[in-house]
This record gives sequence, C-alpha cells and structure tokens, in this order.
Amino acid sequence: MFVARSIAADHKDLIHDVSFDFHGRRMATCSSDQSVKVWDKSESGEWHCTASWKTHSGSVWRVTWAHPEFGQVLASCSFDRTAAVWEEIVGESNDKLRGQSHWVKRTTLVDSRTSVTDVKFAPKHMGLMLATCSADGIVRIYEAPDVMNLSQWSLQHEISCKLSCSCISWNPSSSRAHAPMIAVGSDDSSPNAMAKVQIFEYNENTRKYAKAETLLTVTDPVHDIAFAPNLGRSFHILAIATKDVRIFTLKPVRKELTSSGGPTKFEIHIVAQFDNHNSQVWRVSWNITGTVLASSGDDGCVRLWKANYMDNWKCTGILKGNGSPVNGSSQQGNSNPSVGSNIPSLQNSLNGSSAGR
Amino acid sequence: MEKMSRVTTALGGSVLTGRTMHCHLDAPANAISVCRDAAQVVVAGRSIFKIYAIEEEQFVEKLNLRVGRKPSLNLSCADVVWHQMDENLLATAATNGVVVTWNLGRPSRNKQDQLFTEHKRTVNKVCFHPTEAHVLLSGSQDGFMKCFDLRRKDSVSTFSGQSESVRDVQFSIRDYFTFASTFENGNVQLWDIRRPDRCERMFTAHNGPVFCCDWHPEDRGWLATGGRDKMVKVWDMATHRAKEVHCVQTIASVARVKWRPECRHHLATCSMMVDHNVYVWDVRRPFVPAAMFEEHRDVTTGIAWRHPHDPSFLLSGSKDSTLYQHLFRDASQPVERANPEGLCYGLFGDLAFAAKESLVATESGRKPYAGDRRHPIFFKRKLDPAEPFAGLASSALNVFEIEPGSGSMSWFVDTAERYALAGRPLAELCDHNAKVARELGRNQVAQTWTMLRIIYCSPGLVPTTNLNHSMGKGSSCGLPLMNSFNLKDMAPGLGSETRLDRSKGDTRSDTVLLDSSATLITNEDNEETEGSDVPTDYLLGDVEGEDDELYLLDPEHAHSEEPEYVLPQEAFPLRHEIVDTPPGPEHLQDKADSPHVSGSEADAASLVPVDSSFSLISVSHALCDSRLPPDFFSALVCDMLRFYAEQGDVQMAVSVLIVLGERVRKDIDEQTQEHWYTSYIDLLQRFCLWNVSNQVVKLSTSRAISCLNQASTTLHVNCSHCKRPMSSRGWVCDRCRRCASMCAVCHHVVKGLFVWCQGCSHGGHLQHIMKWLEGSSHCPAGCGHLCEYS
Repeated sequence: MFVARSIAADHKDLIHDVSFDFHGRRMATCSSDQSVKVWDKSESGEWHCTASWKTHSGSVWRVTWAHPEFGQVLASCSFDRTAAVWEEIVGESNDKLRGQSHWVKRTTLVDSRTSVTDVKFAPKHMGLMLATCSADGIVRIYEAPDVMNLSQWSLQHEISCKLSCSCISWNPSSSRAHAPMIAVGSDDSSPNAMAKVQIFEYNENTRKYAKAETLLTVTDPVHDIAFAPNLGRSFHILAIATKDVRIFTLKPVRKELTSSGGPTKFEIHIVAQFDNHNSQVWRVSWNITGTVLASSGDDGCVRLWKANYMDNWKCTGILKGNGSPVNGSSQQGNSNPSVGSNIPSLQNSLNGSSAGR
Repeated sequence: MEKMSRVTTALGGSVLTGRTMHCHLDAPANAISVCRDAAQVVVAGRSIFKIYAIEEEQFVEKLNLRVGRKPSLNLSCADVVWHQMDENLLATAATNGVVVTWNLGRPSRNKQDQLFTEHKRTVNKVCFHPTEAHVLLSGSQDGFMKCFDLRRKDSVSTFSGQSESVRDVQFSIRDYFTFASTFENGNVQLWDIRRPDRCERMFTAHNGPVFCCDWHPEDRGWLATGGRDKMVKVWDMATHRAKEVHCVQTIASVARVKWRPECRHHLATCSMMVDHNVYVWDVRRPFVPAAMFEEHRDVTTGIAWRHPHDPSFLLSGSKDSTLYQHLFRDASQPVERANPEGLCYGLFGDLAFAAKESLVATESGRKPYAGDRRHPIFFKRKLDPAEPFAGLASSALNVFEIEPGSGSMSWFVDTAERYALAGRPLAELCDHNAKVARELGRNQVAQTWTMLRIIYCSPGLVPTTNLNHSMGKGSSCGLPLMNSFNLKDMAPGLGSETRLDRSKGDTRSDTVLLDSSATLITNEDNEETEGSDVPTDYLLGDVEGEDDELYLLDPEHAHSEEPEYVLPQEAFPLRHEIVDTPPGPEHLQDKADSPHVSGSEADAASLVPVDSSFSLISVSHALCDSRLPPDFFSALVCDMLRFYAEQGDVQMAVSVLIVLGERVRKDIDEQTQEHWYTSYIDLLQRFCLWNVSNQVVKLSTSRAISCLNQASTTLHVNCSHCKRPMSSRGWVCDRCRRCASMCAVCHHVVKGLFVWCQGCSHGGHLQHIMKWLEGSSHCPAGCGHLCEYS
C-alpha cells in the first residue's frame, strides 16, 4: 500500500519533471516557471525545499542528478535552447543556517538551436558524461574530461536522428559485454508514420555512435523512454510512453554469430502493451531493480506494471494523482474509492481498470 | 509540409482571407508596416523598400519605392510606418538620421514627399499620431525625439531625453497628447507633446536597453516594454506611478513587441539575436509562449498584426529576406507539447508524481476547457474575453510513500545486512542465509539456499529428511526444521569444509580425500540410522548404497596410487547399479533415465540438459540417492544464478557466487560475474550499505572488482607530535623518531579508529580501550588518570 504525501511545490507553472537522486533522499523538480527546486527528506520523512532558483529563461523540461561520486550535481534542460550543469556549494553561509543550500551554475551547453528536451547523465562507469536531445533532432553527448572541473564540457558526439527528439535514455548496464547505448524517442507528430524510437550504440572501432536498431512498430509520438536498471541481466528492457505503455526486451544476439565490428544485433520483442491510460502516456519510470514499471498518463493516474514468473506483465496498482484533499473530498463522486482520503486506491490488477475513467 | 488551413474573417466591411504564406524579398528587411485596409504591407530595409499586396494565396509586389539611379542613404531604412488614417502616407527612418515621408498619391515614380534632416544620428523609430493626420514623431540614436508637423518644413518641437539613445517612441492611444519613449539605459519616459521641456514621468523599466514598447490597443493605459534583459513588462500607466502588472520571461532579448488585437492578454514578440522565432504570449502565463512561429531562418526584424481587429493574421519580415504571413492556427504551441507530468521511482519503491492539476482533478471538477489539450485557451478567449483566465496551469506534487512490506525495497537492505557471505563453513552460511530469507518472507530464496547446502555440503541422507519435511508440512515449518538441521549437520558440515580446504591445495593426495569422504559417509550413515522420520524403504535403499560405496571405496583406499580422475569414472557405474537395485518408489523411477544417460556417457556435463527439465526436488533426490559430485550441479546452479539475475535479484546471484566461491566460479564467464558484482555494488551503494559493499568487493574474486577498493584511495598521515606529514616509510615519524599514535593497550600503531581520553590524552584501538575499561577505569598507559570516555 502507498500513502500519499502531498507537497506544496509552489511552482508557478507546470512541473515537468521530478527526479530522485542516487540515494533517494533528495528530489529535484523543474517547472515551466524556469526554476528548479531541490527537496531534502528529513528524518521524519517530510520533504523540505532546500533550494529554489531560476535556472533558465524558458520552461525547464527535465532535471536529473549525476552520480554522487561527482558531487551534488544536477543537470537541467530548457526551452531556452540550453542545458545547464549545477553544483551545490558546501560552505558556511547564512543560507546554511536557514536550511538553504546554494547551487551554482557550472556550465551552460549552448550548442542546440532549438529547445533542449531531455538531458541524462551517462551511467557512472562511463565517467562524467551527459547526453542532451533537442527538438531539431540532434542528440549531443558531452563529456567532462576532468571530473573535478564541472565547467569544462566538450561535445563528443552529435547524432542526428532526423526527427524532433523528446526523450533519451542511457542503457544503464555496467557490463563490459554491453557497449554504451542510448535510446531516443521522438514526439514528432507529423502524420507520416516513421519509427519514433531509435537506438544508438557506441562502436569501439569507429569511436562513433551508430544506429543499432529502430523500433518500427512505434509510430506515435513518444513522450518518454526508459531502460530498466540492468542488474546483471543479459538482455535489456525498454519502456516507452507513447499513446500506450510498451515494454520491449532487447536481447543481444551473441557476438560470435554476427560479424564482428558491426553494431550489435538485437532480438527485439514487445513483451507488453497497455492502453489502460486511455490516452497519452507521459512518463514511465522503473523501480531500481527493473521489475516494476510505473507509468502516468493523461488520465492523471499512475499505474504500476509487474511481470509474473511467466513474463506476463500485469497491472499491480493504480494510484490516483490527486492527493489534495480539497479536490479529492469535496467534488468527488462516490464512484471513486479514494473519496475523502489522502490514500490513493491501490487496486488489484484485474478489476483495476474501473478506477481509471 | 504545406500548411493548407485557411482563415476567413469578416471585419465590418472588409473580409480577410488567407493562409500561412511567404514571399522572398530581395534583401533583408528591417521593418514592416501594414496599411490600414489590411491589404498591403510595406517592407523596408537597408536596400529594400517595397509595398506588397496581401492576396489570398500570395504576396504580390505592388510598388518599389526605391527609385533613382544611385542609391541614397536616405533610402536605407531603419524603420517604416504607414499612417493609420491616410492610406497614402508613409514615413521612414533612415540610418543616416533623415526622416522621410512618402506620398503614394504622387503621380510621379518618386513618391518621396518630405525630408527632415534634423537628427544627427540614426533614427531608430518613427511614429504617426493615431488620430492626427499631420503629426509625426521620431526617436533617434542621438538621444532626441522630434515632433514634426507634415505641413511644415521642420520639426515643431524637440524633446531631450537627457539619457542615452532613444530606441522607440509610441503615441498613446488613450491620451491624445501623450507618448512614451524608451531608452538604451533602461528608462521609459512619458511625455506630453505640448511640453517639450521635461518629461511627465520617467522610470527604469529594464536592466539594459529597452528596445521597444507598445500601448495596449484597448485603451487601458497599459504599456508593454521589451528589453535586452529578455523580459517583456507590462506597465499600468493609468495609476500615479507606473506599476508593473505583468512580466514575461522570454529566451532572448526582445526587439519588438505588439499587442494582439482582440486578445486582451496576448502580445507578440520577436528577438534581435539568437532567436529567429516569433512568439505570442499570454501575459498571465509568463513562462510559456502560447504560440510560436518558427518559419524564419534568420532574425525576425519586424512584426505586425495584419488588421487592428483580427487576431489571426500576423505578418513578419526577417533578415533572411522573407516576408511571412502567419496564421495563428498554424502556430506551434509549446504548451501543447509540454509534458504535463513528472514521475520518478524512488529507492525504496516510493513514487514522486507531479501532474497538472486539471489532469488529477476529479471528473466533476474538470471543466471542459480547463486543461483539455484539444481546446486550447486562446480560442476560448476570443469568444469571451471577459471569461476568467483558466490557462495558468499548476501542478500537484505528491510523493506516494510505500508502506513497509508491500513491494518496498526494505527486504533488500535487511537481506544485504544480515546475509553471511564468508568466514564460516559453507553449510552454516547457507543455513544462515536461508534463515534470513525465510524470516523476511522470501521463501523461494530460502529454499534455494537450502538446496545449495544440500548440493554442496551434505552428500548424505540428511537432504532426504529435509525434503520429506518440506514436502509434508510446507515451507511454514522451515524454521524449526532448520534448527534440527543445524544440530544434526554440524559435524558433516565441518567435515566437508575441511575437505574443501584440502582440495584447494595443489599437492592434494587421493588418500586424504578418500579417507575423509569415507569417514564422512560413515558419520552420516550413523546419523541416518538414528533419524526416525525417514521412511524405511528409502532408508534401506540408501543405506545399501552407502554400504556399497563404502565397501567399494575401501579397496580404492588400498590402492591409493590411483590418479585422481579415476574416481568419478568409477563412481558412475556404481551409482548406476544402486539405482537399478531398489525396486522403486515412484520418485526414483521418475529419474531412472538420468543415471542411464550418465552411465552411458560417464560425463557430468552431458547430464545437464536432462536434469534441468526436472523439478528441483527430483534433482535433490538424484543427489541423495546417487551421490553425484557437486560438479554435476554446477551448470544447474549457474542457470539458477542467471535466473535470479534476470529476475532483478542480483543480490542473490552475487551472494551465492561469493558463498560458493570456487565451486561455481569457473562455470560463469568472467564478464557476467563482473557485471553482477558491479550491479550489486551499485545497488548497495545506493542504499548507503557501504560496509556490505566493501565486503562484497573484498570477497569478490573478479580482479576488476577487487581493484575497485584500491583505486583512488589515498591515506594521508600526519605525525601526532610534530604535526608534519609523515613520509611514506611506515608509521614512524622521521623527525620525532617515534611511532605515531600508539595504542596504550597493545602498543601497536593505531591505523584505524583511535579513541583517546581527553583528560590524559592516552588512548588506543577502540576495541582495546573498550575491553580495558570493562576491567579498570584507570588509564591503560599507567599514568594513573581515571579515564573518562563518553
């Protein structure tokens, strides 16, 4: 069961992204009001805003944490065509006394000519790297050669996707058998049906990212994409938020069988496809073991998906998004099980669909 | 992609029809202005000055005002304005400081009417009085504004801003005599046209230059200003002091701002650098543009709404030498594409969820237009401008905290902390871990540990006992069972461990091995006969087998010179025999095939495909009945580890890997092992289980992992006496010739935690001092101090 804790975010416009840090004790939110807020969890489990600052001169689409090995570092990307890297400054100051921390901008990445729609740090074992994607269809991969110097980032790769990009996800696998890989989703809404998910893989020989796969079956605008944490799996799991939730597995075909040197070939299977949100799905997020997928859609619900031992994915829970008692209790009809309470209904899979609509 | 939508608007007498279209100009445009009939547009630039007719499908060049053989600087236009009263009257501001008026009614080719050469530097802006036909205002780089009466040859009055260059001048629509001017130093001034001596009002509107301003068309005294500080501010000039009522944050410096007709809160902006787009903002939603026109490839220099009462047509000229007519309906809407939700899974299974409030609002509370993506707010606004604003969106942020138990990750932490991975005999480790798993309600994992213990530690009949137990009573009886297990199996467990240790030695001799296994079996045999729960037929059959084996082993013991590989080969026919003899309970017959296969091939590895199809239970039967060597199962165990890894339980995979050590290591390729280790360590670090993570690193056999702890760990040591850094020669200070921080109890150098008494400054190893203080409260150094540790 879940208990909803409503947080007065006090953002002046839509919140576009929330992100937990590596240890799950800090949370960052970003909003169209051009600011990023950092929330720290107190001993009692309450979230306190410890920093809030204007990061960009446009909507901030995404915020993401770097591995703490590199310090307390955030990256944000925005409609103002830039991505920025922020670091928390530790020091004695008045801010500290008021329970506020201070974040400084370490760099601004200005290569994009259009809105930067997503930014993601690479898995730690690749070093301090981040990827951005932008509406002009270019994925850019930056690296900070010196991890101690966050203000120096060099543009390592530019990958052209030909389609306006909306989201990226690094393959988190730390295995040496898996080359660095990045999946890119596009929200291009033009009617000509082109595959909206492309997967690029780093080729050790050419030192370039090359297209490894295109998910031809995904032709609707993709809003979010997420590789599941790869905890020693030999294959990869990819979740896609489009007009429905889709889960793909990518099994690398053994290298010996393919000609060496070329990009890895994958056996791609769609293992699940759910349209229970009845509308656009905006976000997908994996739990840390990669066994439960959470998705959220235009219906304002979060749905949890889990596979059984037969690899059949089922809905294991639905969370209504309104923790607010005002909306929840006063206006809600008796059709909803969560009337008047802060506790969202967690329902079992089979009869769960009734609560969504 | 061709945009085919078409809009027709009826406005009083005239009808506007059109679509998104553009035409190519010969040169970059600096400014555009629309004729009052909304049918013509004038484009002016450094080397262009043309009038285009706006037709339904296209722009048609009507007139080129740039006539004459040699180009005059007077024709290099910085700004152009078309009189809103007189269709024939235009004015341009030239870069050389000349203000020119044009009369289209002139019969000659040259339509130039008047020339005012009063400004010393570039004229940035010209502006006609909205109602007075002959009044023209100019603002120049030289800091002066001049008012011209077109019936006279020179200016009527000159206004000195007393600040820097004038960037924009605009007559008020509300007050006949008032105009606003903006300056490069960030000031905005309000003037009365009758009082050129001083301005009515002045305030600092922006940080840096104010490039533009525009009076609200609906007579409200609102003035919008745009500056290099990327902001558009809306000021209420009707009050005594100019009050900032709205502030829009754009992404680049604002070069032009124009209120959108008929939409009280909308204004269009364009930038003079970096950004080529034209935006339309709702000032009440100051962060996200309501619409965006992305057609231009270079900086947009001039924007104009086509008709003062039509909100759907916007014209724009650009440095990329194009003139566009934009249709509002064709604009891209960043709001629509913006993601309304954020979702993130936390470490323990918590979910943070931020969603647009209208999405999470309940059915009854949801207004049809409020958050509905299919009915954007601006269409609504047009219909009913008085309607309260519904477009300012906000998000509800919730953290769904998972309660302990259901799907929470707390099992992971508990398991990681409580698992024993080394330092004890294998059997104990397995038992302990099984117990831990069972207590955390993870029965499958517990069962696995038990199986491992059976496979690797106790080649006797004990497993059968266990099996019968668990089959009879289910897994709920696990705990008491395990206890009895522990008591019973202590001896064999230890025995097998010693055997393992010996087998690691290179100079192992068969004699020893056989000897120990022989004694082992004897032990178990004894125990087994004592055990009462075991059905007799099993017992008989197995004891028979044991006896045989024992019997057979003994002769081998005699010929102790046999090479070691002979042993398994001989063991197989033997097992074969055993299985054949006992006329079977069905579970034995079930896997009667297995020994056959093994008998024929005499190769443990080849058995795997057969065995893997069996249930685990029958496999364990196979073990206890036929006494397979642990190697026999390693492939199966590896499969199991892979299974756990694929299920996302890398913890199990790594824990088993560590506990079993050499037994399975060679059967899993190094890369996979490394992958598991790194994944598990990463997880442990996420949960801040540093000690466990360190232990795993230490125990790992993979070189890539064990070197993790050696990388980038530097220990800097200072001498406690002279405070200088100690050289690399151990723990002795070069200067003082003394050891640093000795433990008062053991007189060794303390390299880790050092605890000392604040009274006498003696101290030592934390554990030693704690132990010492149990016995005495005096200082262990013998100084006589009654030490106090808190």
